[in-house]
Amino acid sequence: MKVLWRLGERGVVAGAFLALPLALFVLGVMVVVTALQAGLWADMHALEEAGLVLTGRSLALPGGAALPYLGVAQVREGSAAAALGIARGDVLVEVEGVPVERPLAAWSALARLPGPRREVPLRWIPRAEALLGALQTRAEAGRTFVVLAAPAPQAQDLGLRAGDVLLALEDVPVAGARQLWEAAVRLAREGRLPARLQVRRGEETLELLWDPRRSGVLPVERNAWRAWRALLTRLGDPRYPEQAGLLPAFLGSLGVVLVMAAVAFPLGIAAAIYLEEYARQTRFTAALEVLVASLAGLPSAVVGLLGLEIFARAMNLGRSILAGGFTLAVLVLPLVIIASREALRTVPRTLREAAFSVGATPWQTVRHHVLPYALPGILTGVVLSLSRALGEAAPLLFLGAFLYVTYVPQSLRDSFTVVPIQIFDWATRPQDGYAVVAACAILVLLGLVLLLNALAILLRARFQRRWAE
Amino acid sequence: MQASRAAPYPAVLARLRRGKEDAIRALLALCALSALAVVTAVVAIFVHQSLPFFRTVPLSEFLGGTRWAPIHEPASYGILPLLGATLLVTAIALSVAVPLGFLAAVFLTAYAPPHLRAVLKPALELLAGVPTVVYGFFALRFVTPFLQRFLPVGFWNGLSAGLVMGLMITPYMASLSDDVLYAVPRSLWEAGYALGARRPTVLLRVVVPAAFSGIGAAFILALTRAVGETMIVALAAGRTPAWPPHPLKPLLPLTTAMVNIATGDHEAGAFIWSHLFAIGLLLFLVTFGLNLLSHRVIRRIRRRYA
Repeated sequence: MKVLWRLGERGVVAGAFLALPLALFVLGVMVVVTALQAGLWADMHALEEAGLVLTGRSLALPGGAALPYLGVAQVREGSAAAALGIARGDVLVEVEGVPVERPLAAWSALARLPGPRREVPLRWIPRAEALLGALQTRAEAGRTFVVLAAPAPQAQDLGLRAGDVLLALEDVPVAGARQLWEAAVRLAREGRLPARLQVRRGEETLELLWDPRRSGVLPVERNAWRAWRALLTRLGDPRYPEQAGLLPAFLGSLGVVLVMAAVAFPLGIAAAIYLEEYARQTRFTAALEVLVASLAGLPSAVVGLLGLEIFARAMNLGRSILAGGFTLAVLVLPLVIIASREALRTVPRTLREAAFSVGATPWQTVRHHVLPYALPGILTGVVLSLSRALGEAAPLLFLGAFLYVTYVPQSLRDSFTVVPIQIFDWATRPQDGYAVVAACAILVLLGLVLLLNALAILLRARFQRRWAE
Repeated sequence: MQASRAAPYPAVLARLRRGKEDAIRALLALCALSALAVVTAVVAIFVHQSLPFFRTVPLSEFLGGTRWAPIHEPASYGILPLLGATLLVTAIALSVAVPLGFLAAVFLTAYAPPHLRAVLKPALELLAGVPTVVYGFFALRFVTPFLQRFLPVGFWNGLSAGLVMGLMITPYMASLSDDVLYAVPRSLWEAGYALGARRPTVLLRVVVPAAFSGIGAAFILALTRAVGETMIVALAAGRTPAWPPHPLKPLLPLTTAMVNIATGDHEAGAFIWSHLFAIGLLLFLVTFGLNLLSHRVIRRIRRRYA
């Protein structure tokens, strides 16, 4: 028994020394992997600057399976990619000699290249209409044949002429332009190119070795600074992760937090002053103290519903910045009260008594003597609650803050989104790239929040030192 | 300035000054009541809004039903799947946060030298300040794929959400337990040492028992934090109500269900809003009640040793 107890003690001591480093380690890992993920943003942006917006698509295979491929969603006019002849609907199959099957693979291939400026060799399969040229179907003896009506330059180079009948690609009979294209994409993804194309010209049947891929060299410049500036300063297009922008969420956060500050800080500090400086210590104030502490633990879902009912509906503010700010004010009010009370409590009694003894009224004492001395402590609480409000998403989700806003809010009555909600939205999207953008936004948010917290800690350290002197 | 000091203070001004003082006092008192106003508003609104629901659906079906399908026909409002999911995730979170947080508090109180403590205590607050959506992202994008290497977990699952939530609550639990342990007076430590006991023995046989109710309160506070947490479960736990809940499969905790209803496209005045407020009322009563209880305990401990 005694041995067991000894062992238990040893365990607790060992655990005590390990617990904090373990928790800190896991959190460190969390920040590092997020930063690594965010690193891909520069490559996404570089490819987008070169004109390419990518999207993950898939082909339905016989038997119900799906073959993913990397489609080109948009090509900007006048861009380097457009100059190469890549167009919307093409399929990217190789980047720098590496086969790619989804957007993430293309960006990662780009990320592996050293140096900011690169000529990146690409291979792609053109969209169905541009693959061989215009096709026609012709019915003949109860069967339909696909005839090449107007061959594209590439098809002419291969030796095809107008009027050739396309029979089969490898073992797949040709039934139409789209179907031929799908077969080509599939062969490319399976690494079976070039492939045999069977063609009937007049009476003879030809077999050509055909590679539907085209290739070119895309100049790409990777510039992390430009990529981050684009993310932080543009409105963004919600359809593609490469074109994401954080500006509306950023401004929304700013507006909501300012409204929150204007409401919660005066109210909370005033409440703390009353409870510490005016109210007699009765059962009621003791109960109020417990009540305020418990309010601080109110689930954000409850606060959100309260805000929805009072501010959005009863006060008819809707999904506006005002309603959001008021709701956050409810959330942080107890924090402000608690922090301010603690700051006021550290002001020595002698200070108040000195003021009273020269005839100052209670308010004069508070205004000129107690508040200035407690100010750094109060500021600490204020800054901490600012950072809490900045990172809070759940109550605003209840308010129905828009998940994606692509305009700059003009007034306090406009609808809005905030950075944490934007992160939530991006994190739930399954497409490649949104995780990267979410990681970027997380780094921004974490940076802001930790900066504010560090500021609060510094403020308090100064405050404590002053009383120690 | 000179004149007013020489002449006696005019009675009118004195009355005016008293009036100003009283007005300020009243204004400040009004602000102090804002906390009470919030609680009253929550109770009034939630009860009022959920009345239509409780009039229609019997309490036994609400709390005991195992099928939650509020928008299907026929609708059923049994929240047992949601409650089970919340409790499961909470249990996982607490089994991480309570040992880790408690041990970290032990280290801070009993072993950390003062200068290290002065660094670590703010660091805990820094950690507690990390937004929850960040933890949610971490759970969804890194912890779940990591778990998938060893376990047959789904893309959404309660295990990953619970583990990460435990990580989130650890600094909170550590900070609260440290407050309580640190409040135990030095004299109790010295008394233990005087009997010839070593530090771990004094800690576990004297100090921890003395602070036991406070650690219990910290535990309950951590629990309510886990029950009310929204973003982590909304991101990582899933959207599928399941009974009985399974930690490796998608779940629908209470808070996620609330988010789903609130962000869904339901017209104002629809019955489902009333259901939403009923869930909210339940959540409020449980968390607020437990909070009141624990803060009373903590307050009493602080006073006893003050």
